Amino acid sequence: MNKLKLNPASITFLPILVCIPLAYELLINFHIGGIEIFKEFIISALIPKINNEIIITLIKRFNETIFIAFSSWLVSIIFGIIFGILSSDILYKFLSLPIFLKRFIKFLLTITRSIHEIIWGLILIQIYGINFSIAIIAICIPYIAINAKVFSEQIENINLKSIESIKQINGLKFSSLITLLWSPVIRTFKNFGLYRLECAIRSTTVLGLFGLGGIGTSIFLSFQTLDFKELWTYLWGLAFVIIISKAIFKKINLFNIPKKFLFNFVIALFCISLFSISFFVYFIFNKNTIPFNSINNLMISNYSFISYDFLKLFLDTILLSLLSTGVAVSFPPLFILIFNNKIGISIIRSISFLFRLIPPPIVILVLLMFNYPSISLAALTLGLHNAAITSKLLLGNLYTQDKNEYIAMQSLGLTKRTSWLFGLFVKQARSYLAYCAYRSDIIIRETAILGVIGSVGLGWQLQESLSSFAWEEVIIILFAYSSIAIVGELINGKIKSNLT
Amino acid sequence: MIDILLELKDVNYKYKNNLILNKINLQINYGEKIALLGKSGAGKTTLISILNGTINPTKGKAKFFNRDFDKLNFDQKSKLSTIWQDLRLIEDLSAEQNVNCGLLGKEGFLFAFKNLLNIGSFDKAHNYMQICNLKKSIYSKNIRKISGGQKQRVAIARSLIQESDILLADEPFNNLDPKLTSNIKNLLLISKNKNKIRVPNTILISLHRLDLLDGFNRIIGMKNGEILFDLDKNKLKNFHLNKIY
Repeated sequence: MNKLKLNPASITFLPILVCIPLAYELLINFHIGGIEIFKEFIISALIPKINNEIIITLIKRFNETIFIAFSSWLVSIIFGIIFGILSSDILYKFLSLPIFLKRFIKFLLTITRSIHEIIWGLILIQIYGINFSIAIIAICIPYIAINAKVFSEQIENINLKSIESIKQINGLKFSSLITLLWSPVIRTFKNFGLYRLECAIRSTTVLGLFGLGGIGTSIFLSFQTLDFKELWTYLWGLAFVIIISKAIFKKINLFNIPKKFLFNFVIALFCISLFSISFFVYFIFNKNTIPFNSINNLMISNYSFISYDFLKLFLDTILLSLLSTGVAVSFPPLFILIFNNKIGISIIRSISFLFRLIPPPIVILVLLMFNYPSISLAALTLGLHNAAITSKLLLGNLYTQDKNEYIAMQSLGLTKRTSWLFGLFVKQARSYLAYCAYRSDIIIRETAILGVIGSVGLGWQLQESLSSFAWEEVIIILFAYSSIAIVGELINGKIKSNLT
Repeated sequence: MIDILLELKDVNYKYKNNLILNKINLQINYGEKIALLGKSGAGKTTLISILNGTINPTKGKAKFFNRDFDKLNFDQKSKLSTIWQDLRLIEDLSAEQNVNCGLLGKEGFLFAFKNLLNIGSFDKAHNYMQICNLKKSIYSKNIRKISGGQKQRVAIARSLIQESDILLADEPFNNLDPKLTSNIKNLLLISKNKNKIRVPNTILISLHRLDLLDGFNRIIGMKNGEILFDLDKNKLKNFHLNKIY
């Protein structure tokens, strides 16, 4: 009997099976209670509120958003590079340093990366109270670790033979090291670093929903008062900022800075790093830590907390991650395959832009207008948000590649869809799946956002425990979150290495 | 002056239980121009890697200036340069930045930093690149965007700019056309050249082409990890070559 053999292209479509339980639960939870409000929400998108007052608020909020996003992006990139170097093999091979240092730094980075910026934000709010700096620090903590991982992976790709050749030149170790590291660091910054600014703007917006300032706070307040026209003014404004920031970065080529300024530019980056460290140290040691009186609180284990309910939340979080990943992986290729024409692709692009633009907490609140809270609803929300991101990547790669095979397939008389599948998609399937493996790491972390707004999973319990200052419970939840994220990262790492 | 620059005594090298080099005894003296011959897989690249201290012999001793490699001081180490068979240039840097990397042994950290920022001085690098027949138009081109022959010459310029005493070159003429091969060979083998640059006095070059043996004064033949002959150029006969090919 022939064995079933799956290739990357077919594996991409398999997760669509998650739609069966999703559709079932969403159908039995369907209601029409909020259908009128939903209509109003949709219509308001076309007629956003524009008056002097709202424009002034918009500008003020965007100043805050851009300041928080840009500061956290810049600091997290600088320290991401530093920690990326510290957590890669090359430094230890070159300077003959003990390897346990690298392992220790990697371990710390894995822990900090596994916890979403929302959770860091909530914890810091509870410790220090609402403060403008908290948003920056909350974003920086996981972002530094995420950036460090990406930079470290690229640095590890340096050919060992280049190391030998540069050692042979017998220069100062530090000079040789910086010469080796320069290219992968700059390449990664160009390919990945600028994209992180867009991520920082999104994270700032989501943190704003929890009261940390910026446009997110205004979006949430508008939603709470059901002032959808005002809400859409902010959302379109956000879209404008994201598009403009991308356009500016495309225009400004950091590496075409006049030579006389380049040295000063590097010195400025160095000063920013020093300032950031000083500010962080000042912030940690000079603020009143409201209820966080003793570190001993964290060490008291509350075993009674680990009950059946806690385990259920733990499993819900895992289930939520799996279902969302299924949606994020399978929806983009499936919809592109079905609506494979110019108008269809344009509609997919527009819808995916909207799902990237509207923060997931707002999406789930909108969906709750005609569905009761459930894991499926949360999974659909998170899945759609991430599918919007994966579809952007897939569309970008599909239509910039060589189309010879596609043309050849069409000339053989195959239909447009079949030609697309075998002539275009098959070539991208492997790298698309590898990216989805990385994306699912992020999905696991993002389950916290939906949980925190009262939907499902551990995030909900975290919010409760934080509100009651039950630090020992918070520690247990963080441990649970970290465990899921770390195990997920290990599994996805295996998948990625098998695919690439 | 020490006459013996490099010395291998009873050197064996094993890789994954395969004996790559077997009982190699070799002395390289000041001023010698040595051609290292042998088929692919004869052990030439491994021998060069042991001679420049990149890998340690499994058995036996490798000495430079009569000292073990790990006991060499900074100055002594910088007296040796290598042209690698696979070039080992630094990707994403420009041709001139790669050539300037050859100066890392003589210059400080600021030089390295300025070189990476592209704000350093490239005069010396340009001089060496010109001597290696590289056109001005490729000086600032990314190393990924130039041809194999141009990369080869960048690698040669990078090793020459080190102004070392001894040069070990692993098939340095691989990607060059006959005219360029002749030019570069003359540049390497004629010490007092008209370009007024300092070319290493002592040179060991591994070769495949027998028509390039002019200008060498010593020929070493290798087969299956062993040195089958090591003699003066004038004493080389056809039967020697038949032994290794």
